[in-house]
Amino acid sequence: MTLPVDTILVIVILTGFLILGTARLITAIRLSAIQGVCIGLLPVAASGGGTSVRVLLLGLAIVILKGVVFPRLLRRAIRESRTSGEMQPYVGITASVITGILALVAAFWLDARMDFLPDSHGLVAPTAFFTIITGLFLIVARKLAITQVIGYLILENGIYVFGLAIALEVPVIVELGVLLDMFVAVFVMGIAIFRINREFNHMDSDQLRNLKG
Amino acid sequence: MNPGWILPLVLVLPALFAGAGLLVPSQRAALRLITFGTLAGAAVAVAAAALALSRAGELTSLGAWLMVDALSAYHLLVMAAVFSLSGLYARSYFAADAESGELSLRTARRFTALWFSSMAAMHLVLVSNNLGLMWVGIEATTLVTAFLICIHGTATSLEAMWKYLLMCSVGVALAFMGTLLVAASTHGSGVEGASALLWTELRDAATRLNPKLLKTGFLFLVIGYGTKAGLAPMHNWLPDAHSQAPAPVSAIFSGFLLNAALYCILRTLPLVEALPGNSGWGREILIAFGLISILVAAVFIIAQHDLKRLLAYSSVEHLGIVALGVGLGGLGHVAALFHILNNSVSKSVGFFCAGSIGHLAGTHDMRKINRVTALSRVWGLGLVGSLLAIIGAAPFALFLSEFLILYTAIQQGHTFIAAAFLAGLALVFVGALRHLISIAWEPLDGPVEPHRGTLLEGAIVFVPLTALLVLGVWVPAPFWSLLERAARVLGGAS
Repeated sequence: MTLPVDTILVIVILTGFLILGTARLITAIRLSAIQGVCIGLLPVAASGGGTSVRVLLLGLAIVILKGVVFPRLLRRAIRESRTSGEMQPYVGITASVITGILALVAAFWLDARMDFLPDSHGLVAPTAFFTIITGLFLIVARKLAITQVIGYLILENGIYVFGLAIALEVPVIVELGVLLDMFVAVFVMGIAIFRINREFNHMDSDQLRNLKG
Repeated sequence: MNPGWILPLVLVLPALFAGAGLLVPSQRAALRLITFGTLAGAAVAVAAAALALSRAGELTSLGAWLMVDALSAYHLLVMAAVFSLSGLYARSYFAADAESGELSLRTARRFTALWFSSMAAMHLVLVSNNLGLMWVGIEATTLVTAFLICIHGTATSLEAMWKYLLMCSVGVALAFMGTLLVAASTHGSGVEGASALLWTELRDAATRLNPKLLKTGFLFLVIGYGTKAGLAPMHNWLPDAHSQAPAPVSAIFSGFLLNAALYCILRTLPLVEALPGNSGWGREILIAFGLISILVAAVFIIAQHDLKRLLAYSSVEHLGIVALGVGLGGLGHVAALFHILNNSVSKSVGFFCAGSIGHLAGTHDMRKINRVTALSRVWGLGLVGSLLAIIGAAPFALFLSEFLILYTAIQQGHTFIAAAFLAGLALVFVGALRHLISIAWEPLDGPVEPHRGTLLEGAIVFVPLTALLVLGVWVPAPFWSLLERAARVLGGAS
């Protein structure tokens, strides 16, 4: 059962590229939702026929959280902040996509270098590295606070795939704790964006620069 | 009866108070709950620490998911001290706001709930034996403390909160990768499945762990938790958050939140050190981060005009000193642990006084604050005393712990490290002393009505400062043996 896993991983990489290449916030949120759903399906697909109830339930929780709840929270933050809906990048779209290509090369290079990883599957670790780099890049290369949250979500997706790459049995309570923390993080960031917007009448993290030295 | 029952209580009690905080009927009740609830939470933590220390091994509970040994017991004690002082101070800090109605009931409730949630989260970090759960605790502290920063809702505090939230979330996410790598290093070491995240299991199997995975994991943990601990160059969020937060919150930030993050790094150090043929590798990394933090902070302290930012940069410096001491090892471990207590106590008192002086003077700009002792006897004298302690003036205990770390460096033949450390200390001393002299002795523009401090306010300022003075000249034997016991955990002994 390697086919669906590979397909899902390729979709994860593609959504990463599309997010780098989009100029519209709403598209970026949709893409991050698609990526989130893929992430939730990964462990289910990887376990093949012998899917346990635990894997199924966790997968379901991730799909609901990343595919439905987070996009909703983010869309609400956009609606309430009366933004133009543009990404407002520091680094232009073309340059971003080129960065993405470089990131993918770097990801495969890293995977080759880190031969000590107990990699269960050829594509898993490179996808994880690529997604992590994409997330970090989005956080630093986009102006709006909300795109930084999207970047954070992509980063978390990458780390989750990385967890699968090293084939580790994380206890359910810890997984749930991590998910709960993520949920609260996005929730808190959403409120923060709302309050920043109310106070400053914008949500450019670019203009948050009164505190120095 | 198994005394392990107390460990879940350490978590549950503050969580219950957090829930109760949402239901308090008035602002006064909220302040009362903060004071007494914090003392109760701290008392349970002290009891847990005492129980753990009275035994030979570690105290475990809930299938070894919770664990307190000498290292965590010591941290629990420091945290109890910082939280008790801050809880008492919060009452005096917010009392005026509550009277004038500036502190709305909604804000008071939210503050109380978040305050106890952060206490519960920090307790979780300290009593957790499971590295994943420890991570959950650290991330939770970021989320609940974010809103404590902007409880006043000003534009600058929102900016500080956003930086804090984003930088620490990203940093802590990287620490999660480190945690996964550390757990993955158990492949083929005989540690089974889910117990790969249990610290005691990892420690017992330390010599059989996969070195490359463990070392990569350690790097991620140092970068990730180091961001939260305020180690330079990942410290950018820290001066903003610490200076914008209300003073009682700044006190727990500088006094303990940073230590909680550093504690997670300290936990992993003995694992890396135990790798065959790797002794010193992890410690060298800590030495590097420690020295960078000390020197970066020194430069910013010289150029600083804001009192609370000065204290915040001083936290970067002191966390750097702790990292340096831990990195040196041997006597350095003991001295670093000693320094943790000294820094936490002096920094908390420093933030109390800075907060109240800021209230009285209407500014935190040190160029506009003069003759603090004339503004208020308690807060003014306290500020001068705590600043002297913080910059390492003898005979405060900070001088002693810094001296011991310097001594260790020279004794081990690290002349360059000792020289850089000394240069950083000298820069901080001179830079901060200049500010101190101007705020303490420059004459006031006109006569002022001095603020009359209460007995309680005097106690939370002068009792800790006196304790630091005493510890600087005489360290009680039981306390020293506690430090040595905690240092043995750092050194890798079980």
